[in-house]
Amino acid sequence: MDGVSAPSDLDLVRRIKAGDERALEQMIERYHARVYSLSYGVLRNAEDAEESTQDTFLTLYRKIGTFDESKKFFSWFYRVALNQAYSRARRRKPAARISIQEHLPRFHNDGHLAGPDWADASVAIESEASARELARRAEEFIGELPRTYRDVIWMADVEEMPAAQVAEVLGISIPALKSRLHRARLHVRQRLAEISRPARRAVPREAAG
Amino acid sequence: MTKGKKTRSPSAHCHTDEITCERLVMEALYDFEEGTMPETERALLERHLGLCPPCVRFLDSYRATGKTLRALKPRDIPPSLAQTVFQFVKERCGKKR
Repeated sequence: MDGVSAPSDLDLVRRIKAGDERALEQMIERYHARVYSLSYGVLRNAEDAEESTQDTFLTLYRKIGTFDESKKFFSWFYRVALNQAYSRARRRKPAARISIQEHLPRFHNDGHLAGPDWADASVAIESEASARELARRAEEFIGELPRTYRDVIWMADVEEMPAAQVAEVLGISIPALKSRLHRARLHVRQRLAEISRPARRAVPREAAG
Repeated sequence: MTKGKKTRSPSAHCHTDEITCERLVMEALYDFEEGTMPETERALLERHLGLCPPCVRFLDSYRATGKTLRALKPRDIPPSLAQTVFQFVKERCGKKR
């Protein structure tokens, strides 16, 4: 009979603390893809994400004695992973940042939308080639967000983690999470709308003599 | 592309209710999409959407953005990553921490 259920995170934590190598291997097997994906969201580079994943599990192994077993393991561990990734990102290059206010929807005095419109959005994502290009640009636009917005949108919308888990990892309230996530989505939507506009300004200027 | 000053709207197609496009987009859209909005407020938004093609297009593009974001999740996790990580940790820590 295969009635053995998978050990809980806490079981694995306790066994790793006791020096059980097999438990470490199981923990890596359970979380490596999620840590890699989370790291990739910060670093946007496969090699860096892989190295950050290694460092995250090394930190886990070294610091597991400090983990408070009354807390949820995943939220502690995700914070370890995020800190590793941001630490690597800081060493690599200064992060380009923009203000979230710069690319939000605009409105007329009376509250009507002032554009830019993105009329063919649902059509654009149906075509594989344009969906791929949109995804590439969306990743770039997430990358320019301040960390407070970037972590939220990556975990909630890309990783599809439940809102309550994201709020717990980041140590913020659900209303704060909703507000940040919505603004981050509006930013990415606005940027995609801007690049989807007809290229009126792409007309080359007359050669200047 | 700053949010900047507001201008007069060229049309007033949806002035028949108390929900403006701005309120719909900036304040209500999240709960509308997540299904966490009270039914009475949802009915107001749906009424607005019935009168306002720009907001319908905005909603459409907000949903397209969500779909684009969900497609970003890295799917090509290096196949030997788990083993690489395990070896990496073992080499640096040996049997003791």
